[in-house]
Amino acid sequence: MILKYRLLFGGLFYKKLRLILSVIGIIIGVTSLLLMNAFGEAAKIKTIKEIETFGPEVMMVVAGSVRVHGGRAIQTEITTTLKPDDAEALRKIAAVRYISPVFNGDGILRYSGKVLTTIVNGVNEEYIPLRKFPLAEGRNFLKDEIIGYKKVAILGQKIKTQLFENEDPVGKIILLNRLPFRVVGVLAPIGIDASNADQDDQILIPYTVALSAVYNVDYIRSIYLSLESITQISLAEKQINELLIRRHKVGEKNKDFEIVKAEDILKTKTQTTELFSILVKSISILCLLVGALGVTAIMTLAVNERKKEIGIRKALGAENKIILLQFLVESVLITLSGGIIGILIGILGALILLPLFKYPLVFPWIPIFSSSLLTIFFGIVAGIYPAYRATKIEPIILLRSH
Amino acid sequence: MVKKLVLLQNIVKTYQTGNIEHQVLKGINLEVKEGDFLAIMGVSGSGKTTLLNIIGLLDKPTSGTYIFDGQDVSKLNSKEIAFIRNKKIGFIFQAFHLIPWATTLENVLLPLLYRKEGFTKEDEKEAVKLLERLGLIDKIHAKPSELSGGQQQRVAIARALINKPKLLLADEPTGNLDTQSSSEVMKIFKELNQEGLTIILVTHDPEIAKNAKEIKIIVDGVFVEK
Repeated sequence: MILKYRLLFGGLFYKKLRLILSVIGIIIGVTSLLLMNAFGEAAKIKTIKEIETFGPEVMMVVAGSVRVHGGRAIQTEITTTLKPDDAEALRKIAAVRYISPVFNGDGILRYSGKVLTTIVNGVNEEYIPLRKFPLAEGRNFLKDEIIGYKKVAILGQKIKTQLFENEDPVGKIILLNRLPFRVVGVLAPIGIDASNADQDDQILIPYTVALSAVYNVDYIRSIYLSLESITQISLAEKQINELLIRRHKVGEKNKDFEIVKAEDILKTKTQTTELFSILVKSISILCLLVGALGVTAIMTLAVNERKKEIGIRKALGAENKIILLQFLVESVLITLSGGIIGILIGILGALILLPLFKYPLVFPWIPIFSSSLLTIFFGIVAGIYPAYRATKIEPIILLRSH
Repeated sequence: MVKKLVLLQNIVKTYQTGNIEHQVLKGINLEVKEGDFLAIMGVSGSGKTTLLNIIGLLDKPTSGTYIFDGQDVSKLNSKEIAFIRNKKIGFIFQAFHLIPWATTLENVLLPLLYRKEGFTKEDEKEAVKLLERLGLIDKIHAKPSELSGGQQQRVAIARALINKPKLLLADEPTGNLDTQSSSEVMKIFKELNQEGLTIILVTHDPEIAKNAKEIKIIVDGVFVEK
């Protein structure tokens, strides 16, 4: 029995290098496809997470005029007519859930000999729940601290690390533009939001203090607000527009503010994600084709090298179907073992590489398995087809080949 | 009456290289009866090997009729041809054509893999007996690369005989062998023929051809009278 299988498949192990090359060809094809799919999916999820930092129910009123470009709201004209009172007035709109005036500027931070520059956002106590920012340490602002012009601060994660390292910052005094602020909280890591701002590289302070003590102005740059429900967006937009036109005594044509909806920012961002997704898919298909071609080439070569063996077997009376069966079994063994090893290496690679690039760990099993199966299929076809062609040739011609 | 094993009528073989047609066999007629020992002699390029390949069903004639053991070969399908190659014809090549990864015993047993019955322990004993007769008993587990040319040719002879064929075909069986090995191989052929095996061998060497009962000379694709 053993002798029978040895006589049938002994040739598989005769040229070890050829066998190893064939298996490696399949491994490379399957592994690269798996990694490509895992990375593509992870990148997509990461982008979606970024978009989620800017909820669809969030709206902004920006002073001056604004152009949304590449998912970023760029202020093209600055006015000083948007006031904190406007924010208070907008609170009357029924659909509004949270609302916060925002004044943003640069600031120099100092703590125990360390100095750094960052973005300062003057906001109220509703800004953190509005943006759904998670707190890592300490607490949010209190309403009294906003009204009472208290010099308190909440730090972004990067600022905390750079100024305090492992020290607990809550309760410590830092200097912002030479004014002392007491740290009350630290934001958990957020990353880059949909408007491309690094939310870990910022410091939040009460807008009252920002206007009066730090920047000495009486206007704000924008108002952030979130709605009870996203179904109210268009109604709320209309109401905000009417209210501010009336308050600022301007016309629709020459108004000094602009309403930016999350939708506007997300639209371009979603387009980018979709483009990326298409890119990943095209590269995957390219990988698949290259892999399949490689596998086809290697398997074809391996079988062509064995034309003489086919010739000998035919001359000794082997029926064509037995020769085909032999090469079918051999191809299945090579591609299947290569495929399984490839999937294992790919999973291992993804487990190591995805966390390294701070990507979420995901395995899109369906594309992984379908592409692996396709590679294996190509391997098997490439293994049998030349054997099939060889069986159609007179044995004497096969015997003459080297 | 002695049975006709091989009957060739007006066999023509043409090879096409590019646009040039090259006629290798130009109308061969041949009759070989059971128990014959025929040597076909000719210089290289005369068409003798092509003729032997056609008789051995390793190649197809361009035209003409070939009746093997009472069957018109052109009417056989690939399965039936495989059966004849396996059971009725033993072929010995000048270049031996052994499977390089298989041992002596495995090479000899290979044809049995392709017959319906498969093989048994008895077949293995039979193969060992055959190898003993051919003086290869101590080389039974050696690979072809570990054997001399004469030894490899004897392995090929054992392989050709394992299925007890009716016809043994040998293409320059001594072409790659020294004088000593050549005469050993020819001695075996003579013994086999005496036991009743029909043999056709192709050679350019008159000394080898002398061993046969009958000699035919082929020149430029046709048989000529001596």
